[in-house]
Amino acid sequence: MLPLQTSRGACSAKRVQLWPNQASRLTTVNRETFVSLTLQNFPPATIPPHAEALRGEVKAFIAEQLAGVPAHVRARTWSGFDAEFSRAMAARGWIGITLPREYGGGGLDAFARFVLVEELLAAGAPVAAHWIGDRQSAPLLLHYGTEEQRRTILPRICRGELFFCIGMSEPNSGSDLASVRTRAERVPGGWKLNGQKIWTTYAHKSHYMIALVRTSGTSEDRQNGLSQFLVDLSLPGVTVRPIMLGTGDTDFNEVFFDNVLLPEDALVGTEGQGWKQVNAELAFERSGPERIYSSLVLLDLWASLLGASPDPADAARLGRLVARLAPLREMSVATTALLAQGKSPLTEAALFKDMGTEIEQQIPAEIADAVAARPDLAADPELLRTLAYLMQLNHVFSLRGGTREILRGMIARGLGLR
Amino acid sequence: MSDEDDFLAEAFRRQLASVITTEAIRRAERGKGTADLWRELDASGFADAMLPEEQGGAGIGLTQAFPLILAAGEACVPLPFAETLVARGLLTAHGVAPPSGGAIVFGGASPVIPGARFASHALVPSAGGLHLVLSSPLGDDLFGTGGATGVAPGEVVASLPGDPETVILAAAAVAAGLMAGAMGRVMEMSLRHAGERQQFGRSLGKFQAIQQQLAVLAEQVISAQVAARTAFFGAGFDPVRVAAAKCRANEAATVVCNIAHAVHGAIGATAEFDLQLYTRRIKQWQLAYGSDSHWAARLGRSRLESRAPLTSDFLRLRLGAEVA
Repeated sequence: MLPLQTSRGACSAKRVQLWPNQASRLTTVNRETFVSLTLQNFPPATIPPHAEALRGEVKAFIAEQLAGVPAHVRARTWSGFDAEFSRAMAARGWIGITLPREYGGGGLDAFARFVLVEELLAAGAPVAAHWIGDRQSAPLLLHYGTEEQRRTILPRICRGELFFCIGMSEPNSGSDLASVRTRAERVPGGWKLNGQKIWTTYAHKSHYMIALVRTSGTSEDRQNGLSQFLVDLSLPGVTVRPIMLGTGDTDFNEVFFDNVLLPEDALVGTEGQGWKQVNAELAFERSGPERIYSSLVLLDLWASLLGASPDPADAARLGRLVARLAPLREMSVATTALLAQGKSPLTEAALFKDMGTEIEQQIPAEIADAVAARPDLAADPELLRTLAYLMQLNHVFSLRGGTREILRGMIARGLGLR
Repeated sequence: MSDEDDFLAEAFRRQLASVITTEAIRRAERGKGTADLWRELDASGFADAMLPEEQGGAGIGLTQAFPLILAAGEACVPLPFAETLVARGLLTAHGVAPPSGGAIVFGGASPVIPGARFASHALVPSAGGLHLVLSSPLGDDLFGTGGATGVAPGEVVASLPGDPETVILAAAAVAAGLMAGAMGRVMEMSLRHAGERQQFGRSLGKFQAIQQQLAVLAEQVISAQVAARTAFFGAGFDPVRVAAAKCRANEAATVVCNIAHAVHGAIGATAEFDLQLYTRRIKQWQLAYGSDSHWAARLGRSRLESRAPLTSDFLRLRLGAEVA
């Protein structure tokens, strides 16, 4: 009892100072100024008809392209690399759909891209080859690149000829990204690049990397002195070494730069503004359907096997997952609307992604529990293959694109706590 | 939401700020002053907002009623205001004049009926539709809020045609909306407390462990609010939308109450502190009108029965936002 009394005593004494008139304080508080992250941050939004009009065509394309591809292969979704599939999409004008037509893009808006991406991910289409270029590198170059960079690079991304990877993490810079040490030094006619990147997805199959490196100062200078470069991975001095995961997958790489000579125009945007430029990309990277749909192929396969009269426990399990997914999809549409208005909803995207990756992790866990709850029944072999693939992967869903802990720190900042 | 809707909700918030003081809530819990408080709330006209303009209302639909229900939850209105607002709307839509000055709750299958001790009437399912009955509370007030474990249906005041399930759908949707509002205020109280309470020489909110907990709290609150908002799109309550809203609100409520009380420490549960006024009500709504498992099972069956080929189609077609 003593600790409670002590704590109450201390609190009550403090309340005399801090809450002299709690009743009036509670009722007159201006919510807008106090809580900076509310339902108002996600205004209801719907996908406009011009974007919805694309859906049927995309569904038909996917049905044709993915006919006969088993679920455990489709479950790779945006980790699945298939250059031929990407070029088929390019032929439809679906890579760089939001880029201006003058650069080879589709000239459509963020909603059109949402519809396209939603259908691709829900079906488990292998989009990895063009994914990074389409989602991040092309918009980055459009926004910060020189006219020469836009004219030479963007049309080739849209044609499915150039694939991109992103060089952010380093062996000693994981979540602490501002501590990167890879360095580009000015030399006559350009830049000399030295250092190492790690966890670079599909670097071994990409043509270019957008790398965040230091151009001045040291790790102690943090966000200052960082710049972004367009690195041609075929240049002398670039070594790409795949990292094999325990599952046998080799999506990730180490990339070494040994006195790589970059031309003058490899710099993207402004020297020293790399951190600011990277942050502008993050809302795009964290707010899309790929943060909630990574386990959807498994969920739909499992649901299709439940049939019309499921075990009540399984129906509840499915319903719970659907109830968690529903507000997340709405939040993703709402964030897309904010992006379409030219806003940068970084905190909103962090909040969405943290919850989204959680549901992506829960789906395989729940289905594993459901399948093994009846060990006496023979499970569908394709369900087991798909489940096993995602069970070995789902624990890392909260790492890619900003870890859970970093995102929660950003949310706390949005709440005014730091 | 239009500026006009925001205006209505803001006007209602100002009204609540002057009427629903924490002292008024505590008095209501002791059964004191509730008749006067109800008269004052009713006289403000907001409970008639769903009536057509020619009948003295504002002619608003469910979508515009949602911000009012959220505000009622935020303000911890101790009387069945939100229930009455929606019930009066349902009655009027069926051509039945709402009982003048009556406070209405939703009857039907539920282990608790929040607000039953303050209600003159109840809407209950009947064989061929809905009945508006005179109501008296049955059983204990388990959460000390003026609730009951049931209502004794008295004289049938009006018979409405329609689906008897309307009662439970409306009840669960309103509960989800009130929970969403109350959880928003619980988040605000927790953030303020974390900013003011000092331990180890710093405010609680400076500790990373607390920051991470409050981030989770915010996620759960906003997700439950988005789900609740979705239940109020459209002309009537749709079982799929309501199921998702109540399931999500109930799941979120457990996390939100645990974190809020953890951040506050023991003081948050004391009678003199306001947090418990909210969390006791949130727990009562959790128990009312179907648990998360109940609604999850219904939602799961709806997904399996739907012709939507993919879950993403189901989310888009059945659980998306609607913007006027």
